[in-house]
Amino acid sequence: MSAPATPRAIAWSRRGATLAESWRVYRRDRGGLVGLALLVVIVALAVLAPVLTDGSGLNVTRVDAAPLQPPSASHWLGTDESGRSVLLLTWWGARMSLVIGLAAAALSVVIGTVVGVLAAHFGGWTSTLLMRFTDFFLVLPALVLAIALSTVLTRGLGTIVLAIGVTSWPQTARLVRAQTLTVETRPYIERAKALGGGHRHVIGKHVLPAVLPLVFATTTLTVASAIIAESTLSFLGLGDPSRVSWGAMLKSAMDTGAVTAGAWWYLLPPGLGIAIVVLSFTLCGRALETVFNPRLRGVGA
Amino acid sequence: MSPILRLRDTSVSYLRDGELVPAVRGVNLSLDAGETLGLAGESGCGKTTLAMSVLHLLPRSARLDGEVLLDGHDVRTLSWGELRAARWSSASVVFQGAMHALNPVRSIGAQIAEPMRLHEGKQSESRLRERIAELLEQVELPVRRVDAHPHELSGGQRQRVMIAMALACGPRLLIADEPTTALDVVVQSQILELLGRLVSERDIALMMISHDLSVLSSSCSELAVMYQGELVEQGPTDRVMADPGHEHSRALAAAFPTVGDSRFRFAPAGTRPSEEASSAEPGSALLAARGVSVNFGSGDGIHAVREVNLEVADNEILALVGQSGSGKTTLARTLLGLQRPSSGRVLFDGAELATSTRGLRRYRGQVQLVLQDPTGALNPRHTVYEAVAEGLRIHGATSDERDRVTEALEAAELRPAESFFARFPHELSGGQRQRVVIAGALVLRPSVLVADEPVASLDATVRGEILALLLRLRVERGLSTLVITHDLGLAWTIADRVAVMYQGHIVEEGEVEQVLLNPAHDYTRTLLAAVPSLREQPATER
Repeated sequence: MSAPATPRAIAWSRRGATLAESWRVYRRDRGGLVGLALLVVIVALAVLAPVLTDGSGLNVTRVDAAPLQPPSASHWLGTDESGRSVLLLTWWGARMSLVIGLAAAALSVVIGTVVGVLAAHFGGWTSTLLMRFTDFFLVLPALVLAIALSTVLTRGLGTIVLAIGVTSWPQTARLVRAQTLTVETRPYIERAKALGGGHRHVIGKHVLPAVLPLVFATTTLTVASAIIAESTLSFLGLGDPSRVSWGAMLKSAMDTGAVTAGAWWYLLPPGLGIAIVVLSFTLCGRALETVFNPRLRGVGA
Repeated sequence: MSPILRLRDTSVSYLRDGELVPAVRGVNLSLDAGETLGLAGESGCGKTTLAMSVLHLLPRSARLDGEVLLDGHDVRTLSWGELRAARWSSASVVFQGAMHALNPVRSIGAQIAEPMRLHEGKQSESRLRERIAELLEQVELPVRRVDAHPHELSGGQRQRVMIAMALACGPRLLIADEPTTALDVVVQSQILELLGRLVSERDIALMMISHDLSVLSSSCSELAVMYQGELVEQGPTDRVMADPGHEHSRALAAAFPTVGDSRFRFAPAGTRPSEEASSAEPGSALLAARGVSVNFGSGDGIHAVREVNLEVADNEILALVGQSGSGKTTLARTLLGLQRPSSGRVLFDGAELATSTRGLRRYRGQVQLVLQDPTGALNPRHTVYEAVAEGLRIHGATSDERDRVTEALEAAELRPAESFFARFPHELSGGQRQRVVIAGALVLRPSVLVADEPVASLDATVRGEILALLLRLRVERGLSTLVITHDLGLAWTIADRVAVMYQGHIVEEGEVEQVLLNPAHDYTRTLLAAVPSLREQPATER
């Protein structure tokens, strides 16, 4: 018999088949594959940093190398103004950038999805209210708001995540609302209502599954911009001063005159790190978009 | 003199995944001035492909074999320029779906002028306007509407504009692809009459494509039936309709029953008249509307439903008939509790409809909906099992879920039920999808089914099967059904009683035989007169 034994098995085999199909389409996007490979490597290195390296090298009181040394055999990427290895700083800085990028993107996407789905599903004045609220955040200069928030609240990881999260959700909200509106006009929504399904059923069983793939693709793109935002804020000196991040590295390079001294090895690694991570997330996001939106696939797909 | 169109052993195949898939196989046809040919067949039988091959309007993946002679020239050997000249000046097409084939941002006059400008070079504006006015007159549109935009016109008027466009360059062959599919019966008969008149007045040939044999038979002198890419039958309309030679033509003919023909009463295509159905006694009123009105917008908004009284009794099929825009779908939504009535009451089993969420949910276990388009009514991400079990899960009855889903699928004649569990809507045929929708409604064991145009989007031969299923459900389970339709033939086939709706009012209600054979209201008579029927002589000849 080809029929699986239980309803649960049917549901799981269905999800498995969907995943396999998505992966098949994703694989065809070479850029997406490169991005994914880079991300896997970077994330693995970042997660394993405490195992593979000695974190005490970040402590300025425990280093013995001379400051601002060019790359050499003992320090592959040279040293910073206090004699710490730039390679070690960049390595650990990746952790910070990734954590903040992911957390801020998650926060922004959650707010955006909730607002978007509710606005589209309920319509009427709920929609008007929520969308005006969204418009308000859309026209706020995001960087200024983020700077204001980071100044008012205590400095720290949470503050940066919050500052980026609350300023970047309106785009997601508008996107999700548009998608929800098209799903809501489908006859199967009417059928679900006629079957007796309430708001929770319609949103949970029909709207969210249809909207989430798009949200997922958006998230990867949001992570990229969140990482840039994090670097910007840290560069402006609004980050967490007790942790290493790529933006903070660039800032100290500026502050300590590394730039004028021609210490390129101090500037390039964090800069390239930001560029590569952002590029990988963007490549993955674009590839995911083609997976979830067949219209973006070229001829012959 | 050679005929306008001659097809000799014409075949078309599409290249798909490196393989040639035949769509049209070895078709022979010829068509001369003043002749009308109806090309009938179900969706996917290749009828549109065949028509488009005449103008070589096929996608690049298509391969055309055999001969297609248009005015004596083989379109396959024509150069690009010659082909351009042939398009519209020797043959033109009235496309399916007048709603989308017109450019919404240009006036209809400009759009009618477009082919003339393209094909006949420079000419004075006054001459152009004169000719446009002439064309509008021919398709019976007021000349002053020449500057109107498509959205200002009704569906029938837009279809007339399409026909005027097709006639602009004086073609000798007119190809009409489903010219009346999206139109109301009354408008449909007007368009068919217009096409027939144009053929005799302008001495052109008409090739009309439709899935609806009754439309073709009332307007064409010759019929050709296509099935799986082949012409299975061809001949004068009278003969093909009276004595269809091929099995498929018989099925097509039976799918569009003649109102008043007792052979079709309680006998959807391919079934024998049901004895139990005609003798069954309807019980007491189960679902009733009392003085229900529904208005949209405030103040002088739209009055979709006005003061309607309607009853669906136990163990009966009631057909609610009317044109689009008559308010029948709004009334159905109100009966289902999906739309609040502005005034009046909806009663189920004597009790007024609850307004609380919980009360409504309980009510929906009793009265279920079957939608028109089964493709849209099923979530493409859900398997058949999930689609059918959805209602049970909403109502929290999960202990014997699997058995009840199996039972519902079998009641909807999807056997063996288990083999359908893990399949997706896109893997099923249109008829099977509609059965899944019906199973999804049946799984709650309702006492009333509201079916909104349940077969309108299905193929001719599948229609009969679905209607037979509805009839059988009533006979075997005593399930009452409210069928909403624009098709009087459908009402004649399965309904016990019929209610005719016009501009929000129920204008006539009663036993099917009484209403359809002796209509009392003018509107019912108009509807009946507009139904294409075999007894009318084809308008195009004689």
